[in-house]
Amino acid sequence: MKGLGNVIAIELKLAMRDPMSAFFALAFPAVILWVKMRNGGTLPSGLPVIDAVVPMLSVFVIGLASLVILPATLAQYRERRVLKRLRATPASSSMIFGAQWVAHMLLAVLGAVLLAVIGLAVYDMGGPVDPAGLVLAWILGALSLGAIGLLIGAVVPSGRAASVIGLAIFFPMVFVSGAMSARETLPETMRSVGDLTPMAPAVQAVRAAWEGQPASPLTLVVMAAIFIVAGGIAVKAFRW
Amino acid sequence: MTVIEINDLQKSYRAHKALEGVTLTVERGEIFGILGPNGAGKTTVVECASGLRKPDGGTLRVLGMDPQKQRRALLQRIGAQLQEAALPDAIKVEEALRMYSSFYDKPADWQALMKEWGLTEKRRARFAGLSGGWKQRLFIALALVGNPEVVFLDELTTGLDPSARRMTWGLIRDMRDRGVTVVLVTHFMDEAAALCDRIAVIDQGRVVHQGSPGDLLSQGSSGSLDDAYFALIERTV
Repeated sequence: MKGLGNVIAIELKLAMRDPMSAFFALAFPAVILWVKMRNGGTLPSGLPVIDAVVPMLSVFVIGLASLVILPATLAQYRERRVLKRLRATPASSSMIFGAQWVAHMLLAVLGAVLLAVIGLAVYDMGGPVDPAGLVLAWILGALSLGAIGLLIGAVVPSGRAASVIGLAIFFPMVFVSGAMSARETLPETMRSVGDLTPMAPAVQAVRAAWEGQPASPLTLVVMAAIFIVAGGIAVKAFRW
Repeated sequence: MTVIEINDLQKSYRAHKALEGVTLTVERGEIFGILGPNGAGKTTVVECASGLRKPDGGTLRVLGMDPQKQRRALLQRIGAQLQEAALPDAIKVEEALRMYSSFYDKPADWQALMKEWGLTEKRRARFAGLSGGWKQRLFIALALVGNPEVVFLDELTTGLDPSARRMTWGLIRDMRDRGVTVVLVTHFMDEAAALCDRIAVIDQGRVVHQGSPGDLLSQGSSGSLDDAYFALIERTV
């Protein structure tokens, strides 16, 4: 649709104008990066910590944009009857979903690029070894987590409720899936629980591409499947 | 020429019957008022006509189209400002117009529209910072941005101060003078008398009067339109 670019650009501006969204997507991950890098050094495998922290925090940013900010935006639009006004136009729900998803993923890209710039400028970051694989893993991660965020945003009646639900899903997930602390440093039980979360395949695929290891087809398939299932339910369940 | 034809329209919300057989017609180029007390079913009529609600029974044609079956095509040709509908707080006036114009196949020139409706000085103002009168002005411009043939305005002036209300009346007349058919839902008899070519009074899901405001006046005994209106409503309570 010809207007899609227009809507995306405006929605991205609106997200940037919201102090909470801008803080969560841009400043908050940078602060975590700084905290994580105070000791620096290498992981037991010999990998410099920065080359684990930047890719995993880039998934953290996708998660924040997808699971916390995106559903809150959509649910607030419902609560404030912004969607009601849109419903009286030819704009379709899939167009609204698409525009919201792209705008929030662009917000996440800004957050991730900021992390990479800090990593390069301050911490002597080495990666990514496989940029194409990284982009693929990142997009699949954004599609799968974004679809879950759209599903929350499709049905929750208020912005506040969506924030609470989003944060309740996001925070436990980042801790156990290895988006907050490197997977290899997590206790075995925590990691096995974390591997069941939809964020784990994104963390694994992004880190594998970062280090130049071959992508596990299973993680990519799992992400695509989550996207199709959660996205399909979101479109069906959407309430204006 | 008839642009809206509603025949025996029925709609229930669970046990509550909102519309019990509404019949009315709206002609091209007129300002048509829908009046009635709270809960009478005014908004339901407009929401059915703009394809937002599915009627339980009766027939409904807007610009010759079925609002349910041809919803997408119809939405290209109508504009609507629905009750309590809003915009995101942080959106600017020009962004809202640009975004809404992009939804339509043959939109109006939104920049020209912004100028014509006197919004240029507020183009960079955020929606949340606009006063009630400016918000209505923007809503009217947004209702027109798709170059519609019919515009539905649901309680556009509720909550406005008297001067903003009067200004909005001027805007609605301007709209009609450009050939747009306006369907105006209102609580206020004075508003209907000032603006509408014809009105329908709805009470408890039925049309209790249809005609010009003058017709209604001639039915009353005191010569006051308000009295005639309330006599009509009370008779049916």
